[in-house]
Amino acid sequence: MRSRVLQDTMSADPLSATFAALADPTRRAILARLTSGVASVTELAEPFDISMPAVSKHLKVLEHAGLIARSRDAQWRPCRLDAGPLKEVADWVERYRRFWEQSFERLDDYLRELKTKEKKNGRKQRKN
Amino acid sequence: MDASNARTSAAAKGAERDLVITRVLDAPRRLVFEAWTRPEHMMRWFGPKGFTTPLCTIDFRVGGAFRYCMRSPEGRDYWGIGVYREIVVPERIVYTDAFTDAEGNPVPASHYGMSSSHPPETLVTVTFEEQDGKTKLTLRHGIPETVTERDGTQQGWNELLDRLAEVLAKE
Repeated sequence: MRSRVLQDTMSADPLSATFAALADPTRRAILARLTSGVASVTELAEPFDISMPAVSKHLKVLEHAGLIARSRDAQWRPCRLDAGPLKEVADWVERYRRFWEQSFERLDDYLRELKTKEKKNGRKQRKN
Repeated sequence: MDASNARTSAAAKGAERDLVITRVLDAPRRLVFEAWTRPEHMMRWFGPKGFTTPLCTIDFRVGGAFRYCMRSPEGRDYWGIGVYREIVVPERIVYTDAFTDAEGNPVPASHYGMSSSHPPETLVTVTFEEQDGKTKLTLRHGIPETVTERDGTQQGWNELLDRLAEVLAKE
């Protein structure tokens, strides 16, 4: 089966590629294992109740998404994590932090203006 | 740890990973809530420093849309749409947020030159609490479950991002 996921990960849009690759518990578990260092395909397959070809397929998806790299020269072809695309996933949080903190600075100023306006209007109403 | 515990803990971690900002504003809750629900107010503060909001429309009801255009100091326009998911006057507003083009069609963040790994849709939850005449505002901004749960389970996702954060911190 030429999976839709693999097609997604090969498409031009890196967002789809990263999210499609991450949208599977086995692949996430493989990445989590790789955060502690390089591992062989056999080592990666160990915790899962799935065949070696199935694990290889998952690794292929991760490789296409640029999330892992596999050594070409060593015979056991160890896999290692490539954190680049994942780091970008985390970056959007920082972008929003800046967005909101600066917005709230402006909101603070604006509320001060609104309160002053309300006070003035209140005084006018009392005079009338 | 059995599977159900793992799931609970992953969900809790997910909540922890959301962006959360708390701020006490020196204004009554009624006024702060109003600042979030009327376009003439939103246009005055919504957006980073130096940005303006030349356009803002609000259909303030569940399922209604909040559409905006933000203009950067360099004159670049960013269009977006929020859809209200939950409204409790004057305590709580929940909406999903997404980028659009000027015609209101959804576009990826890369349309605006941002990292393409920016999530296509985010979820914003704002709560307003009264505190001695002031207002404690809590903003939570995260990836909605529709994105993290494409495969029907969030398990492992948060754990992975947590461990990744540790690895990146060491680099």
